[in-house]
Amino acid sequence: MRRVIVMAVVRREVLEIMRNRLLVLSIVIPPVVLVLTPLLLGGLAGLAASVEPLPPEFIARVIATRPDWAGFSVAELVSAYSLQQFLALFLILPAYVPLSIATFSIVGEKQARSLEAVLAAPIKTSELLGGKTLSAIVPGMATSWLAYAVLVILAGTVIGPRLAGVLLDPSWLAGVFLLGPAVGLVSCVAGIIVSSRVNDPRVAQQIGGLIIIPLASIAVIQALGGFLFGAPQYVLAAIVTTIVGIAGLRVAARLFGRETILTRWR
Amino acid sequence: MTDAAIRIEGLGRRFGDLWAVRGVNLELRQGEVFGLLGPNGAGKTTTVRMLTSLIGPSEGHAWIDGLEVTADADAVRARIGILTETPGLYDRLTATQNLDYFAQLHQLAPSVRAERIEHFMRLFELWDRRHDLAGAFSKGMKQKLAIARALIHEPSVVFLDEPTAALDPEAAFVVREAIASLRGAGRTIVLCTHNLDEAERLCDRIGFMRGELLRVGSPSELRGGNGSNGTGGGHGGGWTLRVRLVDDPGADVLAAVGALAGISEVAALDGRAAGGETGLSCRLTDLRRDAPEVVRAVVGAGGRVLGVEEHGRTLEDVYFDVMGRRPSSDGAVSADIATSDLGGPMAPTGAA
Repeated sequence: MRRVIVMAVVRREVLEIMRNRLLVLSIVIPPVVLVLTPLLLGGLAGLAASVEPLPPEFIARVIATRPDWAGFSVAELVSAYSLQQFLALFLILPAYVPLSIATFSIVGEKQARSLEAVLAAPIKTSELLGGKTLSAIVPGMATSWLAYAVLVILAGTVIGPRLAGVLLDPSWLAGVFLLGPAVGLVSCVAGIIVSSRVNDPRVAQQIGGLIIIPLASIAVIQALGGFLFGAPQYVLAAIVTTIVGIAGLRVAARLFGRETILTRWR
Repeated sequence: MTDAAIRIEGLGRRFGDLWAVRGVNLELRQGEVFGLLGPNGAGKTTTVRMLTSLIGPSEGHAWIDGLEVTADADAVRARIGILTETPGLYDRLTATQNLDYFAQLHQLAPSVRAERIEHFMRLFELWDRRHDLAGAFSKGMKQKLAIARALIHEPSVVFLDEPTAALDPEAAFVVREAIASLRGAGRTIVLCTHNLDEAERLCDRIGFMRGELLRVGSPSELRGGNGSNGTGGGHGGGWTLRVRLVDDPGADVLAAVGALAGISEVAALDGRAAGGETGLSCRLTDLRRDAPEVVRAVVGAGGRVLGVEEHGRTLEDVYFDVMGRRPSSDGAVSADIATSDLGGPMAPTGAA
């Protein structure tokens, strides 16, 4: 794989992304929502807990899961618990952004019928796939990590350094920096596979968006069970997700053959 | 191995049980403009895709500049340029960015890229719009930009698939002019088109295709009823030559012409049917070879020549002849027109 060719693909993809207002909005808006919502809801949950006391068994169960929170007041404990739920939802960012970019990129090329001229140039399909994958994953990860940094900084200012520390514990670090990229890879691969079969980026995103269900279910399971996944579970999830992503990449690479694109992609 | 720009031997491609193209044999010399004509689904695009290493053949071989299209696919792609059926530009990139992307894929140095982009944009009169988004271009401008894209790496062989399809007459004219300028630059060009007039004006040779290469020849050869199917087989047909004379041709003039080899159907013009003109008409098989001989024989036998006109079949006649069917005015298709006589003396077959 020649780096100069891959980077040419990446540069073109980035130029196109920057000029697609709808796509830019779909990249910019979710991080804003996912930064502001945890702070707002975390603060409100703490406020609500100070008005209406929580069942002691719930408090005991949470502290059993997270002994480092034993020194928190009830309001802080509820805020910390709420913030922790958002880790799972925060993983939606590296899932959603690469999915949007990959689907727009491939379906866009199908609609413009630009792939035939590209494939007639001396570019390997692995270089084209590599460039497209990179240009989908990198903005997703950059957005995700930037949003995380902003969240940590704002949390320190808005809800105080004690609670902001929750966002820096190993589960968040494993989630954001290990599981996040793995989710980004799977999401991008899903975008490529689905896009090869449909001609409308919105349809591709709706189908590819199913990847968000397992992420949302983490939050639901935690909320219903009254417990929290820790760093080991996130690391394990990252390993499994990476394996799924690599397997999916092989499928995507097969779909990205010259003949397949020209004769079967419709 | 010859120094042919393109050599094709028994090329075929099957999709499932269906052969899209089969048994194509052809050789194109360097700098030749070759037109590939045929109805939709005739296999033109499939053939071009095989020659550009986009899809592999199911049987046979092809070489571009001596490089086999399957074994040396990357090297072949570096030597060819293609204008696809639709321009396939990136509408959100400027004209310059579109060209620069493809120049990068061909690994041209930055200085060479800048130089070539300026050269081709000036050639196709796009330089003033170089910073505009391709999406804002008219169809003709898009087509010109796509041709510039196909040429940015100075390929030795260029494939142009329907370059003037869906263009208004003005845009089509501009694109044809651009192709003519490529021809002047000595590039080998394969032109897929439905436009017979365009093929006749631009191409050195034309190949009629429907699943296989049915007939190949220069426009003049084809209209004259010559040409081959790539394996050397000729076909009947010919030209009608009408020689206008000051007086009615005498028996000695008609005899002199009739004695020439390759000349048939020698007859004096029917003065009433010919608008009062006097002279003779005859059938030729090779216009370039036979017409001067006819004139020489007429003059030698004492005939005083006022003028000479040749009448051949139009390329459209030849096309329907080769394809074996001609649509009627009500849309129906009449088969086996090849057996009908469209080229009798003074038949209204159009001027050559």
